[in-house]
Amino acid sequence: MKKVSFIGFDFLLFFAVLGLIIIGILFIYSSGVTSTGVVVSNEYIKQIIWAISGIVLFVLFSYISYERYKNWAVYIYFISILLLIVTPIIGKEVNGAKSWLGIADIGIQPSEFSKISVILFLAYYFYSVKKEIKKLSKFLIGFIIVLVPMALILLQPDTGTAIVYFPIFLFMAFIAGADLKHIMFLIFVALVAGILISFSAIKEYIITENSPLLNILSDPSVYKYFLISISIILLIAALGYFLFRRRYFYWITYSSLIAILAMFSNIAARHFMKNYQIMRLIIFLKPDIDPRGSGWNIIQSITAVGSGGFWGKGFLKGTQSHYRFLPQQSTDFIFSILSEEWGFLGCILIFALFLIILLRGVYISYKSRENYATLIGTGIVSMLFLHAIVNIGMSIGIMPITGLPLFFLSYGGSSLWTALIGVAILNNINMQRRLF
Amino acid sequence: MKDDRSSKLRIYTFAALIIFTFFVYTIYLFNLQIVKGLHYKKKAKEVTQREIVIPAQRGEIYDRNYNLPLVDNIESFAVYITPGEILSENRASIYNKISRLLDIKRNVIERKIPPKYRHLFQPIEIKSGVSYSKIAYLAEHIDEFPGVTWHNKPIRRYRVTSSLSHVLGYVGNITNEELQILYNKGYSPGTILGKSGIEKEYDKVLRGKDGKKYKIVDVKERKLQEKYVGEVDPVPGKNIVLTIDRNIQVLSEKALGPRIGSVIVLKPATGEVLAMVSYPWFDSNIFSQEGSEKLYKELSLNPASPFINRTIQSAYPPASTFKIMMTTAFLEENPNALTTTFTCDGELQYGDRIFHCWKKTGHGTLDLFGGLAQSCDVYFYNVGLQLGVERIVSYVRDFGLGRRTGIDLPGEVSGFVPTPEWKEKVHHMKWLGGDTINLSIGQGYINVTPIQMANVVSMIINEGTIYKPHILKEIRDPVSGKLISSEKPEVKHISHIKKSTFKLVQEAMRGVITKGTAHVVITTKAVESAGKTGTSETGTKDRYHSWFVAYAPYKTNKPEDRIVVVVMVEAANEWEWWAPKAANIILQGIFAHQDFKDAVKTLKPWYIRSIRGLN
Repeated sequence: MKKVSFIGFDFLLFFAVLGLIIIGILFIYSSGVTSTGVVVSNEYIKQIIWAISGIVLFVLFSYISYERYKNWAVYIYFISILLLIVTPIIGKEVNGAKSWLGIADIGIQPSEFSKISVILFLAYYFYSVKKEIKKLSKFLIGFIIVLVPMALILLQPDTGTAIVYFPIFLFMAFIAGADLKHIMFLIFVALVAGILISFSAIKEYIITENSPLLNILSDPSVYKYFLISISIILLIAALGYFLFRRRYFYWITYSSLIAILAMFSNIAARHFMKNYQIMRLIIFLKPDIDPRGSGWNIIQSITAVGSGGFWGKGFLKGTQSHYRFLPQQSTDFIFSILSEEWGFLGCILIFALFLIILLRGVYISYKSRENYATLIGTGIVSMLFLHAIVNIGMSIGIMPITGLPLFFLSYGGSSLWTALIGVAILNNINMQRRLF
Repeated sequence: MKDDRSSKLRIYTFAALIIFTFFVYTIYLFNLQIVKGLHYKKKAKEVTQREIVIPAQRGEIYDRNYNLPLVDNIESFAVYITPGEILSENRASIYNKISRLLDIKRNVIERKIPPKYRHLFQPIEIKSGVSYSKIAYLAEHIDEFPGVTWHNKPIRRYRVTSSLSHVLGYVGNITNEELQILYNKGYSPGTILGKSGIEKEYDKVLRGKDGKKYKIVDVKERKLQEKYVGEVDPVPGKNIVLTIDRNIQVLSEKALGPRIGSVIVLKPATGEVLAMVSYPWFDSNIFSQEGSEKLYKELSLNPASPFINRTIQSAYPPASTFKIMMTTAFLEENPNALTTTFTCDGELQYGDRIFHCWKKTGHGTLDLFGGLAQSCDVYFYNVGLQLGVERIVSYVRDFGLGRRTGIDLPGEVSGFVPTPEWKEKVHHMKWLGGDTINLSIGQGYINVTPIQMANVVSMIINEGTIYKPHILKEIRDPVSGKLISSEKPEVKHISHIKKSTFKLVQEAMRGVITKGTAHVVITTKAVESAGKTGTSETGTKDRYHSWFVAYAPYKTNKPEDRIVVVVMVEAANEWEWWAPKAANIILQGIFAHQDFKDAVKTLKPWYIRSIRGLN
């Protein structure tokens, strides 16, 4: 600890974060005010407590040298895995998912904190394999590190939180120098699987008439033959590649494997996805299909954002929010109430603060003393980035509803603490780079 | 790794991706909040605004005397409970108080607000037709009745009901089917509209324009502001004055008595309908009562069909009244018609069929006037055979048969005029001489409505002109009573038949009264009349439709004072030969300015031994 001083304390980062937290508290307060001006929720007080304790944590973590995580990462990782295992067993059920650990009203979500632990451990892993990352086997081990907590969170089930691990891995692998072929492979699998799942959903809920193309892509009986024929292609191509080492065999193997994995993911998704999850996808594609039911949230949110206009309706003056048309205003849809009351200008302010944090984070990572710090830094930045775009995207209707909180702004201790710890680690990296 | 160029590039890429994403989001937000901002502002407003309809006062309906409304509205209120505004601990006591005040059972309230509605902030109607005094009490004690509200919901009151019900019609809530058709014309769910009669025909005139106001609500439909916004005042509907004369209507109604049938009295010079009676009738007021659906169902299942306006919606064989048209045709076609005689020995043999006269013993030799006065069937069989079916059809069509008269009431039927082509096409049988013989005395396939028969008589009196019969006389301003518009007589048809022919037919019809079949029953001294009886066989033994068509005065300097009376009594009643008897009373009443009781007292008719309400 002796090596650390205040010199490197990143005030720009800190004040951007503080700004977001204060705005968050304002709108958590706003969301608790009814149309008649009565404050019906004390969430904002709780959030102030979370914020103060979170800032204490921030300062604390700012002074824990990131280098220590090299030794701790593996333990932190396994403890968080352990917590994720016990959570579904002894956890509290909130909104249909057992993701809470705690006593009485106070609880934490291990799935939030495990993001940090995965980032720390993955960074350590990539750091230790160095250039070997280009090897497929090393790349896959890295993926498994992420896949384990992801699967456990999927079981809670908290799809949104689980899925966010995947792009975090991709970003970190990308920065760590992984082979682009490997990264693109995963992206393609996810993309094709996503398209297939959407197609089945579209076929089931939106389109009533028969469409041959959709049938082929979604009918399980046709699927079988597809799988078999692509598997045969895969085998021949793989054999050809090992015997003749020709490039084109490699690419045929590559793409047929993508197809097979995507198809399997689709089948798995159809088995594991709950109805409400499919509906979220459907109403993202077509909110009007059930305007008073599942489509309600997204329609009300877009209306709230759109009606904010340039200047907004003024703080505490939003109609969509205060007349309670907007659901979950303090958590999932905090951005919507903000856009309604502060308008386009308010949104730009939020974007600016986030961009300061994110770009400052990239800068700190880039300028850091060693690769380990770069990897931790970019991991944290990608975590913050993903939460921001997924949550905001949901509020304005360009992302499906996932229930991811908007870091710093959304009500909730676990996500706030997670975000603050993440930024504190960035801060520490910044302080360390000034020491020679 | 940051030292090599590729990893530098990757970090730049990462940063660029972040910037790019936020850039795209900014563009998207700009589009959403600024380009489409107004659209969403409107949408957000719509979401929170609820329209409340302020019902317009429906216009009143008067008879031609314009002194007392036949139909008006009584101030009345509907009481609502908004369950969400009642705390559960107060529920029982409020329900009890409301049930005492409104005089309804507690379980009726409980049934209207089942437990699953208890959190709702939507007002539920508990009782309609609540009087002003009870609402005044509610308003004074509103503190004791949280969650209880009321709305002005006037009730349509038909002050003169009985036989006017068919003319006036009734109102009711708009049905889904009606709404689909009328939605674009400003009708909305919950609208009250005319369902039949004048109420339906002139719904647009009577209904006025509903006003509206808006309240601001939250997602639970709770009203958020005390004041309403955007208030638009309702425009009251206009008053209607009918051509109907209440006194003649009541006179006709009583003259017909409790017999299934109908009466029409109209002015041939204008087409104004003075009385229109169809028995049995219904009470238009029942539709605004609780449980009207049940009553409606009961009435529609009544075999006597009380909802049918028999003057325009029922068609019957015209029987001997048809002979006045035959007479007209014969006079027009045959220059020697007046002197043409036929001998009736009680029957006519045509081919291998025998056609009887109603008088089995025969009338002997008769000329045309005698034939009509005695209503000799054999005479007109011969006339019919001479004219041939084509000419008969063309003449009766000239009189307007087989066509709607166009009276301003909904649901008129057109009756039917058979032709050889029709019989060939539908029955695949040739038109035979026997069919012509049957048609000649108004039997067989032919069907006419009483209103059509009234037009036939009108054409004879007007010497070729038929005015469209109508019920609407004037439209008046509901507040000042100022005349807005009045109906002008509308010529519906002008015949090419010579006026002299009509004059002869009038004379022939006078003969029916002075020395013919109606002589014994048309006993009134109040006026000289002319007419024609009709008795039609229906297949049931000793049961006949009884017709009487007449006009009076027979001679006059003021043709505009003439009236046509058509009485039709169905075969469903005991045979009394009632139609001319009823007409006798009606003529007496109208021309001696007497009501039914006085008319009967004056006439002392042999056919009325005792009538309820007399003495």
